Amino acid sequence: MAMDINTKKIKRNAFRVSKKRGYGACRIRVPGGYLDSKVLGMVQEIADKYSATGKIHLTTRQGFEIEDIRLTDIPEITRAIQPIIEAVGINQKDPYTGYTESGTRNISACIGNNVCPFANYNTSALARKIDKAIFPNDLHFKVACTGCSNDCAKVRMHDFGIIGMTMPQYDPTRCISCEACVKGCKSLSVGALSINNYKIVRDTEKCIGCGVCVTKCPTRAWTRSQKKYYKLTIMGRTGKKNPRLGQDWLVWADEENIIKIICNTYRFVEQYISPNAPARKEHIGYIIDRVGFEEYKKWALEGVELMPETIMKKCIYWNGIHFTDKSAWTD
Amino acid sequence: MGYQFTKAEANALFQQWKERYDVYAPMLMKGEGCFSDTDIVRYGQPDTLEDIEWAKKSDYSFKEVLLSINQTLFYFTEDKTIVPNPPKKEILIFLRACDMHALTRLDDVYLKNGFEDIYYRQVREMTHFVLMGCTQSCETGFCVSMGTNKADTYDGYVKLDGETVLMDLPMAELAEGAKAEELAVTPDYVTENFEKVTLPKNLTNECFTDDIWKEFGSRCIACGRCNFACPTCTCYTMQDIFYNDNPKNGERRRVWASCQVDGYTVIAGGYDCRKNQSDRMRFKVLHKISDHEKRFGHTMCVGCGRCEAICPEYISYITLINRLAEKEG
Amino acid sequence: MKNEYIPQLSTVREVIKHTALEYTFRMEFDHAEIVKPGQFFEISLPKYGEAPISVSGIGADTVDFTIRRVGKVTNEIFENYVGDKLFIRGPYGNGFDIENYKGKELVVIAGGTGLSPIKGVVDYFAAHTDENISTTLIAGFKDPDSVLFRDDFKFWKENINVIQSVDRAPEDYTGPVGMVTKYIPDLKFTDISNASFICVGPPIMIKFVVKAILELGVKEEQIWVSHERKMCCGLGKCGHCRVGSTYICLDGPVFNYVDGKKLID
Repeated sequence: MAMDINTKKIKRNAFRVSKKRGYGACRIRVPGGYLDSKVLGMVQEIADKYSATGKIHLTTRQGFEIEDIRLTDIPEITRAIQPIIEAVGINQKDPYTGYTESGTRNISACIGNNVCPFANYNTSALARKIDKAIFPNDLHFKVACTGCSNDCAKVRMHDFGIIGMTMPQYDPTRCISCEACVKGCKSLSVGALSINNYKIVRDTEKCIGCGVCVTKCPTRAWTRSQKKYYKLTIMGRTGKKNPRLGQDWLVWADEENIIKIICNTYRFVEQYISPNAPARKEHIGYIIDRVGFEEYKKWALEGVELMPETIMKKCIYWNGIHFTDKSAWTD
Repeated sequence: MGYQFTKAEANALFQQWKERYDVYAPMLMKGEGCFSDTDIVRYGQPDTLEDIEWAKKSDYSFKEVLLSINQTLFYFTEDKTIVPNPPKKEILIFLRACDMHALTRLDDVYLKNGFEDIYYRQVREMTHFVLMGCTQSCETGFCVSMGTNKADTYDGYVKLDGETVLMDLPMAELAEGAKAEELAVTPDYVTENFEKVTLPKNLTNECFTDDIWKEFGSRCIACGRCNFACPTCTCYTMQDIFYNDNPKNGERRRVWASCQVDGYTVIAGGYDCRKNQSDRMRFKVLHKISDHEKRFGHTMCVGCGRCEAICPEYISYITLINRLAEKEG
Repeated sequence: MKNEYIPQLSTVREVIKHTALEYTFRMEFDHAEIVKPGQFFEISLPKYGEAPISVSGIGADTVDFTIRRVGKVTNEIFENYVGDKLFIRGPYGNGFDIENYKGKELVVIAGGTGLSPIKGVVDYFAAHTDENISTTLIAGFKDPDSVLFRDDFKFWKENINVIQSVDRAPEDYTGPVGMVTKYIPDLKFTDISNASFICVGPPIMIKFVVKAILELGVKEEQIWVSHERKMCCGLGKCGHCRVGSTYICLDGPVFNYVDGKKLID
């Protein structure tokens, strides 16, 4: 049977062309991996109806990939997934058009402070907020949110990693010198606390704002700052050329400026992306490697006014593995 | 004498109280809980009656008003000691029936056990108590089992009831200038809790070797939250410090201590009289339900359930006591 | 109302150095006549903290404190007392009641600085030998260099039975060597039912000494012990020394063994 499919178009719409002729997969993204349980039923309904094998893959980016759908069913499936798109609340230009762009990937998140005692913020809420600001977009961006410095969401493997921080607030009049915070910081974190005159001294240079001291404190001498703080790590990635860990750029930063920086980066990429980039996809880190960090900074910080407590690293270097450089592989 | 006020009238009276007293009451401290975006109820100084947390039991008790977590006993300057001034203003504490009973336990230790404690005595004499009624039981309290569900020695009673405020003000100073409809007001109290506790009646040193202490104690992380939240725990440790920028001067403080936290029983030379957590658990529980009673005629525990609610390891004091009672048969 | 927490400044009259780690501080105290052996004071060096220290001697207007350098406070006292004054408050606790031991065959067993609290009792009966039938002191020290109260021992040896033993000693040492418990089975009594025993030392020593005494066929009520605990206040408030319903600082530290045996931490 003749099958005329515009693969460029369906890929852009977040469908996959599979290795099995005539079949593909339908991707459904869930910002922050956070959904009402009823969405699972909706996904199941679609899989039952359209998947030849009835299989779903849980993706690494917290989405569903309904396998073995007929490529010819795509227009129908695009309409069928509309209730799911609405239920998870993602950005969409026009209803019943599915995902109009697929370059910018689903924003993933750890479980965050809805559940986790260590998390310093509501990761899925921030994921949705960023989703609203940057979707839909076809440029290849990966963003992830994690609640604390444990980085369970592996945000350092992303172009933008957002790590939750809290500025520990200390009330010496409630402190009973039990040193639970000192011991906790030493064994679980960076050992930023010491004791002087039976009161705690926090080494502000060392402190990473993880909040262990707050959770360990039995008297509420340590509490969290009312303001939420974040660490922004940038340009981590996987891949075939030079996989690397994202590096700290901003510490004690705020949500609004981080979102602004991500949006600014889209303009930077529009300006500098290689004209030869296949499907207009080039990792941002490579672009920065090419044009220089100083130039990136100029673009990224456009209109950004950091809070006085935000620390910005002047310069960043990435190392990571260079698969293109084989010299290290031989004796 | 009972009164019925509108909210505005009651708040006007409250402002009058605030001028005369330092008013302390349970307040919801937003975002100050252990975990991100969680709150805590502890004592603070409310501006209005609405600032008071009326629904939830406070996580930490009123005792921190009478017994500061950190209290300077005196300052050292060279060869002299200088005692800080006692509070100038009288104090008004809002609290519940269980806490009113806890107050007698604090008095036991600080006023009746050997020497009188001058610091406690000074604050205690300046403090008056306003009862907050309980229309329904809190989740972990077992005041009915402990006979602490009712209190009648209050100086005032306040109840927020929609747009009206009911008060009973046995202490005349609180009622000064109060113009409102007078009627009989009796405090709300609960007659049943979700939790019921049966105390073991025949505890002797023989129970020391019971496996139950190991069973519960081995789960303890020695954080001391049960002690710090308890309205009847009174232990403290002395601390001497000299000021970093003026080593000739310093101060001696007493600071809350916990019998569950390391160091509590370490004597000079490093020997620890009660080293393992099982023994510490037994020491605490028996004090609450038996040892204090032997000395003062009533149990120390008032059944407020704060220790039950705050334990991060879910070690249930209620379960433990009921199990001890069951063993007696 | 008296502020019991305020210590008084007391002049150090004399410092007797027993060993590198143990000194006796003879402190001025106007009301020495009210002090009983076995009681304790809270001694402090301002800004370094307080420590409960037993009275090891009572003079006309002085009290002695034999301090072993083992903790933060006692370290500082050793370092900084020079020519000087210490803050003291007390006396606290019940102390030993001399009356209990009059007319008895008294045996005092002490280890190390445990000798301090009962030193007053030994002094008394060494000076008033006619007031009881006999007094025997079994004092144990770690080694010959750790022996305390050397001058006092000379006086005691002239008046009462003294076994001064060390746990271990160099080969050329001629005195008794061994734990204090070693000497208990060999004690001789005219009438053991009229004997009284006092035992002071670390918790582990008390345990074994009492066991050995009971094996002699002695009744529990013939034994007295003194307990050491972390007494932060000495006033029945801080709670650190409480054992069961007993506050060691108020009800003790001296207990007849009938009560003392019930004190389980």
